[in-house]
Amino acid sequence: MIKTIHLKDICKSYDGEVILDNFCLTVPEGKFFALLGPSGCGKTTVLRLIGGFETPDSGTIMIGDTNITHLPIYQRRVSTVFQNYALFPHMNVFDNVAYSLTIKKLDADFIKQRVVKVLRAVRLESHMYKSIAQLSGGQQQRVAIARAIINEPEVLLLDEPLAALDLKLRERMLIELIDLQETLKTTFVYVTHDQTEALTVADQMAILNHDGQIEQIGTPQQIYEFPASSFVATFVGKMNLFRGKLLTIGSDSYFEVKGLGKFSVYISARYEWMEEDKELLMGIRPEKIWIGKTKDEKFANYVIGKVEAIVYHGPATQYNVRLSNDAIIQVFEQNEEHFPKEKIDYDDQVYLHWQKENAILLER
Amino acid sequence: MEKKVASVGWGSFFWGIPALLWQVLFFYIPFFFLIVTSFIKHDAATESFRFTLEHYRTLCNSIYLKIIFRSFFLASTTVVICLLIAYPVAYYLAVKVKRWKSFCFALLVLPFWTNFLLLVYAWYFLLENDGLVNSLLLWAGFITEPIAMMNTKIAVHCGMFYCYLPFMILPLYSAFERLDLKLLEASSDLGATDLQTFFKITVPLTLSGIQTGALLVFIPSFGDFVVPALLGGDKDLYIGSVITHYFLTVRNVAMGSAFTCLATVLLVLLLLCMFVIHSLISRDSNNA
Repeated sequence: MIKTIHLKDICKSYDGEVILDNFCLTVPEGKFFALLGPSGCGKTTVLRLIGGFETPDSGTIMIGDTNITHLPIYQRRVSTVFQNYALFPHMNVFDNVAYSLTIKKLDADFIKQRVVKVLRAVRLESHMYKSIAQLSGGQQQRVAIARAIINEPEVLLLDEPLAALDLKLRERMLIELIDLQETLKTTFVYVTHDQTEALTVADQMAILNHDGQIEQIGTPQQIYEFPASSFVATFVGKMNLFRGKLLTIGSDSYFEVKGLGKFSVYISARYEWMEEDKELLMGIRPEKIWIGKTKDEKFANYVIGKVEAIVYHGPATQYNVRLSNDAIIQVFEQNEEHFPKEKIDYDDQVYLHWQKENAILLER
Repeated sequence: MEKKVASVGWGSFFWGIPALLWQVLFFYIPFFFLIVTSFIKHDAATESFRFTLEHYRTLCNSIYLKIIFRSFFLASTTVVICLLIAYPVAYYLAVKVKRWKSFCFALLVLPFWTNFLLLVYAWYFLLENDGLVNSLLLWAGFITEPIAMMNTKIAVHCGMFYCYLPFMILPLYSAFERLDLKLLEASSDLGATDLQTFFKITVPLTLSGIQTGALLVFIPSFGDFVVPALLGGDKDLYIGSVITHYFLTVRNVAMGSAFTCLATVLLVLLLLCMFVIHSLISRDSNNA
């Protein structure tokens, strides 16, 4: 049976403030789906609607062929991993995980078997009888996941589940979540405002803007390499944007930026908004720019600028370069240090190069 | 009252001395005298005092046991009624009310600012034969003759419930304030119906409030004598009324002391039982 989630024409407002307006979204079955958006964009509302904590003012929610719009929470085969885990403090690890089975008054031996199995999957079987307060943040997170998956839900909702963990632990949990999803084949809907998390875990992701509208849906690569709008481009990663005009469309396309000159661009897909002489945006990712003190003829495009700031990140160094039209461009350079490199210092004049395939065109 | 062990050193103990002195002077020492008095018989002829169990033997009478049982029953029903009414009120106040919270809270605490006696007397005007309740019922035509409500058990229960309700609401309110509503969502998310969530999550997590409230209502209502005296008439005697009778009316201090001690011992035993049961339950749930 197909368990794709369909949200159709969903409207939802709180106290007269519209959160979602005619919101439509399809989450494919068995995928790790990430919902990425800025704070307050309504992504948590979407999750709460699927979970059944809220009912939409209008519109329908389907899982497969079943309309669950008005189905009470406890009848939905949807489980949630809450942001702060919401573990029951008066129960130990075992009872927390066993909760959904105990509620159904299942056989005690069967429950024990299942709990042990699930706890083993999240590597917590040795902590089975500990109280929640005795666990570390990462362990509590795993209990929350175990509790949510024991009942074999059709959909697992994760509401910023890693927000309370430190960086190292977060990276480890991300890998564990991916593994878990691959073993369970359950649809995971993962809500976050952290682009790295979303890019790491997702098979598919949707980007929501401030108005609760979907800007783009796609794989992490599609989103990162070919953002559909400047909002997506700047929300997911960093992007240098130039406002200018598309001069010619064809095998040799050119984009003119006032005060900087003409740049050759490669049009991978033709959209109807791509018209000659139209005001558009050209975007280049900072890491796709090659910085050097001399001009390199291998590149299709270059601009000259002056180094204004150098920020050392460890694996990479970020250069802020001021161009002749006063715009500032960001450049990332890997500190791989395989060969001696020319030293770039403050106020140096530098050449910024990129290939025509590195630049993308955006309508807005 | 449980005293906290001074962990900050002598400074905190020093500041505790006035309260401690007060407690010792006006509670522990008098209570000690009370206990001693209950075992002593004053012989008027020889002007001497001797040890006796006579007073306690007198108390081993079904009349007194009935009185104690009646007080126990009154206190228990007061606790139950207060709990049933206070629980939803506290929930509503702590969880649902957003804008008028402090106002509602002030309304709740307002009776505290009024004298206890006045509160009880107010019920007198409600319940007497030509009181408000009877007049309304007569006017509406539900009854043709006024119901005698004063000096009945019902009147006593009404008064008790009314006077002790805030003591139940306040601890429950703070328990609900501490309750994380996400836990209730998590419970329904895991397939629990509202009723299951209530008994498996809400009640256990507000249990401390229930216990505190029950104690705060039970202990004073067990020995209360004002409400039974004013609203109950002289038909039914309660612990409090017997004690006042011995001390203030017939001036039999020894019997009054003995009865007070007996009631106190029973109360302490009862609380011990509750404590033991509670610790058994919590140990049980930890080692499940």
